[in-house]
Amino acid sequence: MNWNLFVTELVAGISHGSVYALIALGYSMVYGILKLLNFAHGDVYMVGSFIGYGILGVFGGAQNLSIPVWALLTLMFLAAMLGGGLLGVMIERFAYRRLRNAPRIAPLITALGVSFFLENAAQLVLGAQYQSYNSFSWRSPIALKGFTLPSQARISYAEVIIIVGTIVLVVALTLFVQRTQLGKAMRATSFDREAAAMMGIDVDRVIVATFFIGSALAGAAGIFNGIEYQQVWPYMGFTAGLYAFIAAVVGGIGSLPGAVLGGLTIGLAQSFSIGYISSTFSDAVVFAILIAVMIVRPSGLLGRAAVSKV
Amino acid sequence: MVRRVGWIAIAASAAVLAIVSAASARPAASAAASASASCSKGVSIGMQAPITGPAGSIGSDQLHWAQFYFTQWNKKSKIKIHVVQEDTQLDPSKASTTAQALASNASVMGVIGPAGSDEVQAVAPIFKKAGLAFASGSATRVSLTGGAWKGYFFRDVPNDGVQGPTDANYMMAHLGVTSGSKVMVVDDQESYSTGLADIVQQALTAKGVTVDRESVSQKATDFSSLVAKIDSSTKVVFLPFQLASEAQLFAQQMQAQGKTAVAFGSDGTFDSSKFTVNGSLISFFAPDVTTVPADAAIVTSFHKQFPGATSPFGAPNYVLAQMYASAITTACKDGKISRAEVRKDVLKVSLKSTILGGPLKLTANGDVAGAEFHIFKIENGQYVTIA
Repeated sequence: MNWNLFVTELVAGISHGSVYALIALGYSMVYGILKLLNFAHGDVYMVGSFIGYGILGVFGGAQNLSIPVWALLTLMFLAAMLGGGLLGVMIERFAYRRLRNAPRIAPLITALGVSFFLENAAQLVLGAQYQSYNSFSWRSPIALKGFTLPSQARISYAEVIIIVGTIVLVVALTLFVQRTQLGKAMRATSFDREAAAMMGIDVDRVIVATFFIGSALAGAAGIFNGIEYQQVWPYMGFTAGLYAFIAAVVGGIGSLPGAVLGGLTIGLAQSFSIGYISSTFSDAVVFAILIAVMIVRPSGLLGRAAVSKV
Repeated sequence: MVRRVGWIAIAASAAVLAIVSAASARPAASAAASASASCSKGVSIGMQAPITGPAGSIGSDQLHWAQFYFTQWNKKSKIKIHVVQEDTQLDPSKASTTAQALASNASVMGVIGPAGSDEVQAVAPIFKKAGLAFASGSATRVSLTGGAWKGYFFRDVPNDGVQGPTDANYMMAHLGVTSGSKVMVVDDQESYSTGLADIVQQALTAKGVTVDRESVSQKATDFSSLVAKIDSSTKVVFLPFQLASEAQLFAQQMQAQGKTAVAFGSDGTFDSSKFTVNGSLISFFAPDVTTVPADAAIVTSFHKQFPGATSPFGAPNYVLAQMYASAITTACKDGKISRAEVRKDVLKVSLKSTILGGPLKLTANGDVAGAEFHIFKIENGQYVTIA
């Protein structure tokens, strides 16, 4: 057995799956509360990635960094998560709030409209060119340097940051949802919005918090993408958003552990199918998994079967 | 009241029917195909390019180079040439829609573009029906010329039939690829890329080389899974991508995993601002005009009109604009011009030298005569010609 190939594919799959998982969490959180498929969520990820790119530019760019890499990364994450979160709140406030009681097709189409708006606005403001974090050229090239494992597989520092960073964010989110008052309010609203409102929960505040947190996670995913996969461009949110949506559905949309499991499943499926079958069929493998899960467990791997009162 | 509404509905339906019948009885495109126009009022050239969308940087550069030439031309010529721009977003269906608009515009006498081979196939029936010449500065699929669109479609860049064997031969002669050794060929799932990958794969397997054929999405950014498959017997990784940034990413990820195979990009990856990994090779149909001393004055003047970066995809559109200007001058000798005249006169154009470094003379099929590809090596970010 070629352990080098196996371990490399494993790490690549977990790393890529972590990015999907963070985006999928946002899809799942919003769906859990509003039953809305927020197709603009992938574009929040794009904006987060561009915010990180902007911070990089402010501090001299890839080849002339004026601050240590750890400080740069900290600033990038703070700015992207804050910026992404605020963008999510604005989207909810201006595009979705008035449609809360409209037929479900209306916010769905609006979400697509917001997605196109963000993509085109980004292209207008930032240009159509692909931009690169070029973390291969930083004073500490985190995408180039890393560890060599006994199997001779090489793991870059950027991959380590993605995997560890995702674990930290997922644990923090879980603690927040389980232990805080706002987290409990989110769970209650997700369970039954009307009943939650009747019990005195400020549903508007819960929804705003949900959009902020979900979008902040997408902003963080945008930074992870930049430091490992380098490229940012206005349409990057579409593909990543699509895979993350598949991840959320595979894991069980509305379920937070399901979003993480779905993201890792899709990331690993892509990685191992490229390594052991062929890159030509990796998308086919991903969609085959989606179809298989939908047939066997229509509510997703960790999703709850929907019960309708008749 | 109900009866009155009924009558109004019938009258409205009849009016719509009459308009539709009138429109379909005399298509604007066919009318424009045979019409002559006065040259004194100016002549229009259509420009189809992916001005927005994922390939927007390529398309806007193509547009700018064509506009730049016509701006210069209009300063010194009595026959004014206007550009009618249409955005295709590198999407064949959008290319078809915008082609219809150009075909129906009687003032348009020729078209520059579209950029992609799939787009060319989509618009060809429309332009042929409208009698319009159309010329691409980047569509290199072999089958586009010499077939059903002969006399209508032209290009000023050599095709993949030239590029593929050039690259395969170079690998065999200079990169240690021999019968029994291995080359990885990775396409980006676009027709340009798959077509060129097929040609190189065939050329190499015919010589006994083992080819590991792979395929990735043009929007992919993580190649680490694929790079992990490159073993020590793989001498070259051929990357016929449309985007230089993708090749850069692939080559960087090869470096990160310590792979020693040579990354070899095709003309789509030729961009000295984006593909910069040392030791990588690239084939291209012309030099990067920004690095050619003879083109320095033109490039400086271009940057005055269009500040910012330019890619090698732009300059061939300058030459196509030059070609149309020459054909229009010939066609306008009697003061009138038609699409048929432009088509005929394009084939008569002969430019002794162009900013692409060679002459321009089209063959009857519409390809550029004597075209050849060159091999470049990246050394400290500079593209150095090595073959």
